[in-house]
Order: sequence, then structure tokens, then C-alpha cells
Amino acid sequence: MSRHVSEWQRLSPRMLAVHPVHEVVRQLPVLVGSLVLGSATGNGAWPLAALGVTVGVGLSRWFFTTYRIDDENVALRTGMLRRRSISVPRNRIRSVQTDSRLLHRVLGLTVLKVGTGHESRGRSAFALDAVPAAQVPRLRAALLAESAVPETTDRPTGRVLAAWHPSWLWYAPLSFSGLLMIGAAVGVAYQSGLGVTIQQRVAQAGTEAAHRTGVVVAVSVGVFGFLALSVLLAVLWSWLTYGNLVLRRQTERGLPERLCHGVLHLRYGLVRVREFTFDMRRFRGATLREPLLVRALRGARLDAVMTGVHGEGESSVLLPPCPARTCRTLLADLIDDMAVLKPPLRSHGAAATRRRWTRALAVPAVSAGVLASANLVAAPPVWAWAGWAAVTAACALLAVDRARSLGHRVGDGWLVARAGSLERRLDCIACAGIIGWTVRQSLLQRRAGVATLIAATAAGRKRYHVIDVPADLAWSVAAAASPWVADSVWAGR
Amino acid sequence: MIAFAEPANPPSRRAPLLWAVSALLSWILPVAAQIWWVLVHPRPGWLHVTVAAVTVALMAVHIGVVPLWRYRVHRWEISDQAAFTRTGWLVQQHRIAPISRVQTVDTYRGPLDRLFNLANVTVMTASSAGAVRIVALDSDVAEHVVAQLTDIAALGASDAT
Repeated sequence: MSRHVSEWQRLSPRMLAVHPVHEVVRQLPVLVGSLVLGSATGNGAWPLAALGVTVGVGLSRWFFTTYRIDDENVALRTGMLRRRSISVPRNRIRSVQTDSRLLHRVLGLTVLKVGTGHESRGRSAFALDAVPAAQVPRLRAALLAESAVPETTDRPTGRVLAAWHPSWLWYAPLSFSGLLMIGAAVGVAYQSGLGVTIQQRVAQAGTEAAHRTGVVVAVSVGVFGFLALSVLLAVLWSWLTYGNLVLRRQTERGLPERLCHGVLHLRYGLVRVREFTFDMRRFRGATLREPLLVRALRGARLDAVMTGVHGEGESSVLLPPCPARTCRTLLADLIDDMAVLKPPLRSHGAAATRRRWTRALAVPAVSAGVLASANLVAAPPVWAWAGWAAVTAACALLAVDRARSLGHRVGDGWLVARAGSLERRLDCIACAGIIGWTVRQSLLQRRAGVATLIAATAAGRKRYHVIDVPADLAWSVAAAASPWVADSVWAGR
Repeated sequence: MIAFAEPANPPSRRAPLLWAVSALLSWILPVAAQIWWVLVHPRPGWLHVTVAAVTVALMAVHIGVVPLWRYRVHRWEISDQAAFTRTGWLVQQHRIAPISRVQTVDTYRGPLDRLFNLANVTVMTASSAGAVRIVALDSDVAEHVVAQLTDIAALGASDAT
């Protein structure tokens, strides 16, 4: 066990430098307003007073925040006017995250967040903002004492499951992060009033270039430049975020993993460093996600399914887009059974395939009707029909891919289900973690003889769908996965 | 492939009445709005007639047909190992949850439930997707169900995740 600390403690005094800066950034509109007021009234005291109050509020945050870690609970008290006190039983702590942005890093500080089985967001989340980075290994070990994290993590220990490789950058341009960054930069430029000047300059330069070289060349150079910039930014962002990613499995005193579950420890970030520590006893599976474009380059990404860790978003990420082989190797390692992933999935049959086709072709069918009826009034232009043909072809390909993706498998204690095309996902869920089954049938599903099977767990997204299983098979799947279904009084009554 | 039986018990006989009354109450506002519209803008008449006809047809289905349909679908049963329900009308769903993983058992009685002497029992597990709701039970049946569940479940034995 770790040392027992039972008196209320303050966060790092260095936060006295960080809080005022954050507070000033947060209250920027008010400060700008006071500046305007000050220059309008000719009284310089207004902006100074506003700045003083803001900095004062920022400083006071440190004085009014205390935390305590004792044998049973960790507690946090915050707030000056609205006092808030959060207490978390230590045996409910499932994960510990740390996050240090640039300002924190410069000052040697780290934000430490605690994840419990409960959904907690925003203000009710337990976050120590911030503690000295040197204390983090000790705090992490103390908080996750139940899962026996090695306390000496100055020198990283454990088995490396995955590490970043430059080839992962291939997948970066497929995300929208570059476009988002350009959009954000343009937004900031307009807000600060520079936008109009830049717009005029760009428009002027554009017209001049068009005069010199012709419109087509100017436009294509512009588009190409824009795309190149967004790709460059996306690659840069991906490198800064995930470069140096390392995923380790650590056990107490290096015991074999069969004896001691230990923890998963994920660390990444060149500028903003983030670390995630997951209690492996709460591991209930993983989701292999293959967005269409990433899949086209043989890539994939992996999310953890754990109790106490939110199912979506960065808190559950195990691997960002990377070669699918890396993801599959890691997945097989984590579920400790290559056999689960090897055999082909059981497909859902003709009815499910038919439903994929009718759904995908609904839009083309309706638009064909609209175009045909428009034909009675006035002939629609040829390009309208060409566009319709292109959309129909795309929808048909989507239907083929969606039908091919659909499949499931139960065995060796794991439920594996795959579905989707644009956002294809392969969910691997430990059968032991399934604590409820729903078999849902809409009117059309009843007529088609299929059903949607939903496995309820306390982990990740809480519900994992197996879409359009043949209706007479649905209960067999549930029974194969959960003995309590197979042994219930309704089975074979 | 296994045969899976349906849960045995229907809800209370007064359940369709409760659903019909609550459906009727939900139509008060739209009907009042429509009457007000007629009084303020009486023309064009054909539009009012059409809208009124659609409203009446929807009301007839919602108040007359759906409660009976739901009554035919709704079933529940509790065994020593699991709670099992069948609910819905257009979209029907079966839900089963193991009693060993039950975390809380709630009883809820709204104003209309009290009027008809009915109660709803919710069996919660650690998953937000796994709660089994047994609706429109006779009050004494609901009490019996809760007693039975808490008896079997020995709540709080483990953290049930």
C-alpha cells in the first residue's frame, strides 16, 4: 500500500501562475469591453480594475481548491462562491488520465483525472488541476492501488504492446483535422478584424494571377495549394499528437499476466502530453473501427471497451489510425486469444442483405420518381440524369459493402459483431461482461424475419448492436454468449 | 438453434384503459389549438375539414387501437435467474436481464397510475441499456414482484459490473 495522506492538501503553488492566465483568456470579451469603455470615457481605471478582478479570481482558485486522499475516498473541494465537494470511493476508480498542455509542461505541472464507473462530465468530473509532474507516478499508484500499479514509473516498465511508427502518418491526411485547422484560423482572423484586409489582398492577388495565367490555372493552383496546406497541417497535427505513442502492459513486480491483470498504460503527445492508465480487470473488449478511407489504405483504429471509461472520444482511444495489422495484433494480444479473431464471421443471410439494398436504394428510387415526374412538365437537363446515375452507383456499392460487412460470431467467451461501411466497426465484447439482452423487431423486420440483437454491458458504449440477425437465430446467439440465458426457464420450454 | 418461450404474464387488465386515457390527454392541446384556429380563421373551410379528419383518424388509432395492440404484446415474467419482458407495438422488443446483476429495483406510480391503482417496476443493472421495465402492473402484483426481486437478488453483494 502507499503512504496514507489524510490531511487536506493544496495543488501545486505554481498554479498561481497558470490560473490568472487561463482566467484572462476566459474573460477576454469582458476585458476587451472594459478597454472600449475605458477609452470611451477617457478613464484608464476601468480596464485596470477589470484586469485586477480577473487576475484576483484566478489567484483565488488556488486558495479555494483542496484535495485529500485517504484510505477509502479521494475528495476534492473547489469553488469560491459556489463550493463544490466531490468524493470518490477509491475502490470505484477504474482509470487515471493525465494531461499536460504547453503552459502546464513549461511549469512542470500535470492535470490528473480520475475515471469511475459513473458517467461524469464537466464539473462533476474529478480532476486535480494541477499537481507537480514528479508526484504523478506516486499519485497514480496510490489511486489505482487496488489494481497494483508498480510505483516506480520513473523508468517505464512493462511489456510494450504498440509503439508509434512514421508509417502512421499516411493515415493523417484522411481526417478532417487539416481543414478544421484552416477553418479555425480563418475564423480567428475574421474575429480579430484582420479577415477583411486578408480577403481583399487574396481577392486582388487572385484576380491578378487569373489575368496573367488564365482562370483555370489560377483556380486549380489555388485549390491545389489549399489541399496541400490542409494535408500538411493534418500530418503535422497527427505527428505532434501521436508521435512517441507507447502502449504498455504493466503488472505488479513483473508478475505474469495470467496471475496479475495489471494495467494498460498509454502515453502520447510531443507538445501536449497525455497519459491514460486503465485497470485491466475492467477490460471488457475492444472496438476495431475502419472508416472507409482509412480502410482503403489498409488502416484501422482501436478503442477500448472498459467499465468506467467513456465509450466514445479520446478517453477510450487505444490506437489512432494506423496499419490494420498493428490493430489486429494488439486486439489479439489484449483478448489473449488469437482464435477469437481468426474464423470467418457468420453472415446474416439473404433477408439482411435485401434490407441493406432496399435502404441504400431508397434515395435513388425517390429521386428517379421526382426526375421522371419533372420530365412530364419539362425535360430535366442531361446532367441531372448523369448525376442520378452516379448517386445510384455509389448507393449500390454502399449496399454491397454494408451487406458484406455484416456478420457476427460467438465463441470462446467473446461476442464479435461487425457492421457498417462508411464507419465500419468490429466490436469484440467479453461475454462475461454482458448483463442484459434486447431483441428488437420493427414491423418491417418482423416481415423480413430478422431482428436486431443488443448486448447491454456496463462498459464502453453500454449497448452493442448485432444488426439484422435471422429472427430464429437471435436467442441462440444470446444463449451461446450468456449461460444465464441458455439455462433460463424460457429456453426450450 | 434454440426455442425461446415468451414471458407468461400480461399486465393489469386496466392497462389498456390507462394507456387510452393518457393518449386522450395528450390530444387535448392539439385539438384545442385546432378549435382556436377555426374560431380565429374560419376560412378556407376545406382545409379545416381535412385537418380535422386527419386528427380524428390519428386519435382513433392512438386511443382506440394502440392500447389494445400494446396489451396484446406486453408480457413479463420473473424467474429465479432472470427478469424477462416483451414490450412495444409497432417496434416490439424482448429484454432479459440476470437477477444476479441487478443493482436497484424502482417502483414508480404517476398520477394516472394511482387513479387506476397501477404501478411500474424498473429493474436496473449497471448498464444503461439493460434496464428492464415492467409497466402497468396491479399495485399488489407490483409489490409482490419487488419483494420477490429483492429477495432473490441479495442486492449489494458485489458491484455487478
